[in-house]
Amino acid sequence: MDAALLEQMLLGALLALSVYLPLRCGQLSLATPGFYAVGGYVAALLSTGVAAFAGSGATSPLWALLAEMVLGGILAGLIALAIGGPVLRLRGIYLAIATIALVEILRVLNLNLPFTGGAMGIFGIPQPFAHPGGYVLFTLALLALACWLCQRLEALRLGRAMAAIRDDELAAASLGIDTPRTKLLAFVASAVLAGVTGALAAHFLNAWNARVGSFDASITTLAFVVFGGSRFWLGPVLGGLALTALPELLRPVGDLRLILFGSVILLGPLFFPQGLVTAERLRGLGALLGRGRHRGRQAPQAP
Amino acid sequence: MSVGRLLRVGTGLLTLTLLLAACGSDDASQPVDVAAGVPVGAVLALTGNANVYGQDQKIGLELALKQRNGSGGINGRPLTLALEDSGSDEPGANAAFTLQINRGVLALVGPTLSQQAFSADPIAQRRGVPVVAPSNTATGIPEIGFFISRVSAQSSVIAPLAIDRALKIQPGLKRAAVFYAQDDAYSTAETTIFQEALKEKGLEPVTVQRTQLNDQDFQNQISAALREKPDLIVLSLQAVDGGNLIRQLRELGYRGLIVAGNGMNTPNIYPICQKYCDGLLIAQAYSPELDTPANTAFLKAFKAAKGGAIPPQLTAQAYTALQVIGEALVRLDQRQPLAGAPLAATRKQLMQELLAGTYATPLGEIRFTPEGEVIQSQFFVAQVRMDPGGRNGRFALLK
Repeated sequence: MDAALLEQMLLGALLALSVYLPLRCGQLSLATPGFYAVGGYVAALLSTGVAAFAGSGATSPLWALLAEMVLGGILAGLIALAIGGPVLRLRGIYLAIATIALVEILRVLNLNLPFTGGAMGIFGIPQPFAHPGGYVLFTLALLALACWLCQRLEALRLGRAMAAIRDDELAAASLGIDTPRTKLLAFVASAVLAGVTGALAAHFLNAWNARVGSFDASITTLAFVVFGGSRFWLGPVLGGLALTALPELLRPVGDLRLILFGSVILLGPLFFPQGLVTAERLRGLGALLGRGRHRGRQAPQAP
Repeated sequence: MSVGRLLRVGTGLLTLTLLLAACGSDDASQPVDVAAGVPVGAVLALTGNANVYGQDQKIGLELALKQRNGSGGINGRPLTLALEDSGSDEPGANAAFTLQINRGVLALVGPTLSQQAFSADPIAQRRGVPVVAPSNTATGIPEIGFFISRVSAQSSVIAPLAIDRALKIQPGLKRAAVFYAQDDAYSTAETTIFQEALKEKGLEPVTVQRTQLNDQDFQNQISAALREKPDLIVLSLQAVDGGNLIRQLRELGYRGLIVAGNGMNTPNIYPICQKYCDGLLIAQAYSPELDTPANTAFLKAFKAAKGGAIPPQLTAQAYTALQVIGEALVRLDQRQPLAGAPLAATRKQLMQELLAGTYATPLGEIRFTPEGEVIQSQFFVAQVRMDPGGRNGRFALLK
């Protein structure tokens, strides 16, 4: 498999995790591409406008990339913090609509701000890695970190609180969980992850424009989670990897490829309404492996 | 085994697989593989909102390939063309470019849109693969690097011609209205040129209306523009949105002249705006009436393939792009045989050869600047003439 496609798959997985985080406490937010665009613009502007970030010669310095990712994440997080309060009072489909509006506002802003390059966007973004393989290793490390944090969340009080809100917000509040704060935290975490991913993606894609953060992108990233499963972090990761790879892997079938891709997205939720990865399936898989290796052990617990 | 541990094992395995996959090499030091023919790649927008251009271009490439292989290929070896769809977005173009380069192609034709070029061309530049763009008209494309060139003259050269022509047809024009898609690189680049050209002629636009690439309904913008009572409307829109806008413009009662940019320069607008396409003025980088052997041969081939239709500019430019690569390959192969030569060095020599040549093409005689910008001598303006039924039409050259 080609390194450039792998990199796209990994970026897809990171975006899927960003959609998953608010969903983990029951909030359907489609704002991920908006924050992704913001992070990318930070990286694109810094690395094309500031000499120290651009580096000299073939590649730009790695510290610059890290700094852009941090700044992109912070800016996306601040935007999320500012708008999260009022927006998160909405629930379900209303929250989804509000976040679509946010993506649209950011897109139109990016098209019309004097320094974002209009529709042409910003191009000629310097490369921190000479080869896509470098991006893959770096993104893999980032994805591993994000996955590890999501896994930690399962054991933390915050993660339990998020799960409680997802199951029943009213009951969670009556248990003493600060539901607005927990929801805001999940929303900000999602924005930070999307912003960081955007900063990395801007370098990888060479060019950055308002089209990366469109309504279409919202739906695509949502499809990652719906396809993979929203209950456990492995689901979005698998969904992101698979659905990003599929259109490219289907190239041999020629003109039919997008039709096939569409039918996969359609058939996935039909046959796996909870997504590919569910607690039951994980438990089943764990039991299967457990029986092979540790005969006689007790059944594994739920995640 | 707990789920947590299972996940750790799973993550480890996944990481290992991905790492192994990432280590797959794309070794540019290997020799050129000419066993199945001399490999050249093309990346066109065959799906998405730019697919109407890709379809025109695909025919051009097919005809050029047939022409090249019918006249001896690359000194006896066939030229082979691998065509990939880029969709109409940047990640698609990037993926298709990378795929083609990994296949070991000597040169690439594409991508269809300027916006895609800004993203995908740097990949080819970094990996040292010659690119001949058949339809990128935005400013700054050849400037991406040494390996990037184009046969499509940029809009700053062509677009003002249509305004000149409109003024010749109707000298008293006073009130120009401008439309463009604010989220599209081509539209925003071209409208700047149109607006400057208008100002130079003393036609300060009375209104500038912004649309979106994926819009279908333009009633708001049209009503706002028509309130200003324009007598000339200048559009920088792509085929699908532009066609719809023209239809709605005429339906809402506009009767004056319409000038459109290169985005609507395809017969594929006929089914969209139908009888309302009639009278549209578009500047052309290609004239089917050009009387040269190269154009006659191209016309004949196109008519044989498409049953008597007149080739659009996009087809002629795509044909030219592959023709240029083919001729440069022939010359390079004569100097030093391609078979067995190292791939990276051959790609570089091909680019030098390509830029050095002069080519007799359907567009007329063309050359390149050292930067890779096309030098073309003749441009034209065409007016769309629709048949009475409104189903079909033609681009009639204005003398």
